[in-house]
Amino acid sequence: MSVVTISRQIGSLGCQVARLAAEALGYRLFWREVINKAARCCGAPDAALADIDELGLLGLKTSLKASQSYVEAVKRVIEDLAAEGDVVIVGRGGQTILRGPPNVLHVRLVAPAGLRAERLAQRHQISLEGARAQVEARDRYRRNYLKRFYHIDWDNPELYDLILNTARFTPEEAARHIVQATLNLPFPARQETLFPYDTIPGAC
Amino acid sequence: MIPSPEPADPSSPRFSHPAEEAFAKILDFYGIAWVYEPRTFPLEWDEHGVTVEAFRPDFYLPDQDLYIELTTLRPELSTRKNRKLRRVKELYPEINIKLFKRREMRDLMVKFGLYDQAAGIEGTQAQKPEGLLRKNAQQNAG
Repeated sequence: MSVVTISRQIGSLGCQVARLAAEALGYRLFWREVINKAARCCGAPDAALADIDELGLLGLKTSLKASQSYVEAVKRVIEDLAAEGDVVIVGRGGQTILRGPPNVLHVRLVAPAGLRAERLAQRHQISLEGARAQVEARDRYRRNYLKRFYHIDWDNPELYDLILNTARFTPEEAARHIVQATLNLPFPARQETLFPYDTIPGAC
Repeated sequence: MIPSPEPADPSSPRFSHPAEEAFAKILDFYGIAWVYEPRTFPLEWDEHGVTVEAFRPDFYLPDQDLYIELTTLRPELSTRKNRKLRRVKELYPEINIKLFKRREMRDLMVKFGLYDQAAGIEGTQAQKPEGLLRKNAQQNAG
């Protein structure tokens, strides 16, 4: 009944790593589902949309009351998922909402800003200049989100049990480290749910 | 009674305005599921019960359960749409609907390298962004 939270910088291949780790552990993966469920629960769909809109393209302005209601709903959704166990939760303050329980592993995925911009430029077929601007804006958004609603410093290493630099590790290697660390938790994954990476579609 | 959403058309819809297509691209960029004009909300009826005024929001975002209506900055259109929106909220209080002013998106899209998405927002109501001019010039040169 373990839980893995993954905080990731944009362009750090965080979603790919999360997917690989979840598949290897036999855990359910939650990312955007947390946002959508919270939006439905609290009746503040535009707050959820504003949360997704990290670049501010939609120019959404939500009231403090709606934002707080939405963040509370996010917290409840994450706590409910953690109570069910065997889940990997990406983003949305999981590292602070689930701070404390010994069966939760908090992972942080990072990479140098230049490399992340190159990855974004390649993935979205955009200019490197535009990709750099996206990296800066999305880092700023995520840092501010955690500062504003949870009063924590996103970059504080003490929030995490494991920090991985994907400039150094491939997504498969990073996922392997996460799996290994999860197995060392008090309530680790069931061994029989683990399977070799070469059975994961798209894995190297 | 609120009409049920119709199933999404898997084929690409025909947008009635380039700004709508640009908006759809933004939603795609963020990985947000959307349906184009899935439902019409009757607003007024004549004495025979025939709908004489209705409102069809441009988009529905099923995961957020949110309707989106795009509008321009032209005050007369904005005012009319705002009035319709108020009427929709009176008659159908259960639905969530949001009005977006499309011009606000363009400059940011260019800043973040999203030239294709921004292209639909060019036109008489907005100046051509410098980044687009640059890109178009490069494409023409190539």
